[in-house]
Amino acid sequence: MVIQAAGLRKEYGSTVALRGIDLDIDSGGVVGILGPNGAGKTTLVEIFEGLRQPTSGTVSVLGLDPATQSRKLKERLGVQLQTTPLPTELTVRELLQLFASFYESAQSADAILERVDLEGLAGRKADTLSGGEKQRLVIGIALIHDPELVMLDEPTTGLDPKARRDLHQIVRELRDQGRTTLLTTHYIEEAEHLCDRVIMLRRGEIVADGTPFDLVGQSKESSTIWIQVDGTMDPAPMVAVGVEALGQQGVHHKFSTSDPTATILALGDMLRSQHLRLIDLRLKRPTLEDVYLELMGDDLDEEESGEESSP
Amino acid sequence: MSYLRGLGPLTHAGLLQAFRSPTSLFWTLLFPLTWLFLFGFIFFRSVENKVLMMPGLFTITIMSGAFFGVSYLMVKERESGILRRYRATPITPTTIVLANGIRAIVTMSLAITTQAAVGWLVFRYQVDGSLLLTVLVLLIGAAAFVPLGLFIGSVAQDMRSAPAITNLLFFPLIFGSGAALPAFMLPEWAKTASRLIPSSYLVESLHGVMIRGYGLAELAGPIAVLFATMGVGIWANSRLFRWESSEPIDRRNLLVTVAVIAAVYLVAALIAPAFQMTRAPGGT
Repeated sequence: MVIQAAGLRKEYGSTVALRGIDLDIDSGGVVGILGPNGAGKTTLVEIFEGLRQPTSGTVSVLGLDPATQSRKLKERLGVQLQTTPLPTELTVRELLQLFASFYESAQSADAILERVDLEGLAGRKADTLSGGEKQRLVIGIALIHDPELVMLDEPTTGLDPKARRDLHQIVRELRDQGRTTLLTTHYIEEAEHLCDRVIMLRRGEIVADGTPFDLVGQSKESSTIWIQVDGTMDPAPMVAVGVEALGQQGVHHKFSTSDPTATILALGDMLRSQHLRLIDLRLKRPTLEDVYLELMGDDLDEEESGEESSP
Repeated sequence: MSYLRGLGPLTHAGLLQAFRSPTSLFWTLLFPLTWLFLFGFIFFRSVENKVLMMPGLFTITIMSGAFFGVSYLMVKERESGILRRYRATPITPTTIVLANGIRAIVTMSLAITTQAAVGWLVFRYQVDGSLLLTVLVLLIGAAAFVPLGLFIGSVAQDMRSAPAITNLLFFPLIFGSGAALPAFMLPEWAKTASRLIPSSYLVESLHGVMIRGYGLAELAGPIAVLFATMGVGIWANSRLFRWESSEPIDRRNLLVTVAVIAAVYLVAALIAPAFQMTRAPGGT
């Protein structure tokens, strides 16, 4: 077990940031903490990092107490904070060497430069880097001492798609090396594609926890089915078996169902009886985004919401 | 040594920053020279004044380095979140404070060397007493006041309040101590009050070695007070270091610390030998 937390609660004055978090994280893999702004993601991660003290509850990271054994823990923990200001006037290489000197053992600056693909920029001052380059440097700093546990707080926020993909690649390499990565994000597709386990946080509570695949399966959302046929179709038999007909979208008939398997079987029967040939069939299962929207409810008013589903 | 791991590289990085940034170069090297010229043109016309002003000038350089240079550096590093990033590594507060302190002492040494060199070239200023002892006293002085500057840096909330605190302290420290004005020119009450001002003991020590040619034994009193300043400053840092601006300052802790610092100077004022610098030159 890499992280064990029980009854974690954090209050800032009268504001409650975490309301009793119970969480066990096994070694290996990428764990995503997903939630809207203010859900408590950063507070939770920073308690694990020993940067904040919980108001109550117990926590153990790599078998150590972050509050009392923090130096020992920091030797084995790689951290990327949500905002990472770096000392000015220093070059990329100098910064890596500086941070390397803080640890009992660390990799060479060159090894890290290669790993985060910054070899060509080693002599540049950090404040002249682009957003994506700086973020790679910040991740490089987090990895300099070869940590077994890596915590990344919104590593891709504000990055362009290319820079985001580069960072995803670095995280996948961490997984391939058998390290445990804990990352917070408010990008749902990032959690869906990158994480082996997703923990959804809302108002300081865990509201969902599982693999992206399992979480989607738990959705109460309906699936959407589109079909195109070579003639005029009467959708009435479908409505009779509990499927909602949503009319036409272009040349496609659109249906909504909570049981897509049964619906497709019923569709086959109907087409046969109406002597129609199927030209196209598309199925859209609920996505992690649908699950997320279901669970977060009105907390998302200020967040970017999902697009309408279309084929 | 694991407790101080990173001290060398962090000090080195700090010095690289100090010498690469034009703003920092201006404040550490050029600004002290403007003091030299200001003093030079006002006081250096007469021989005895010229002799008298140098201890004050060096004291001002150390004070401004400690109170403006190093305290602002701490506040900025904390406010910008750099200290918070360091906090996520195994580095200790002692290492950070020491690295900033050593950086300040090195830059101050360079400033003073520049001042002395330019002073000698332009104004033909020379030290009358032991040069070696002068250097030693300057280093003790720097090591005494840098911790106080670092302490102010830990106590100041942000870059808005830091200048208020440092200016509030800086002017009494240079005007009340015989640094900006020769101590013998001060009125009697101010001469008495100067015994409560930490920087007076540095001016007194420098005055003793540079003008009166005193040896270490004769300077033991004021130098002891400088060591006490260093000790109490280091102690204060260990009590009030803060990684983050959002960490509240423990008021009670602060009050106790300031009270102890004040008590140290009260005791110093009572037991330290009488100041020699308050006597008019040539009247010995």
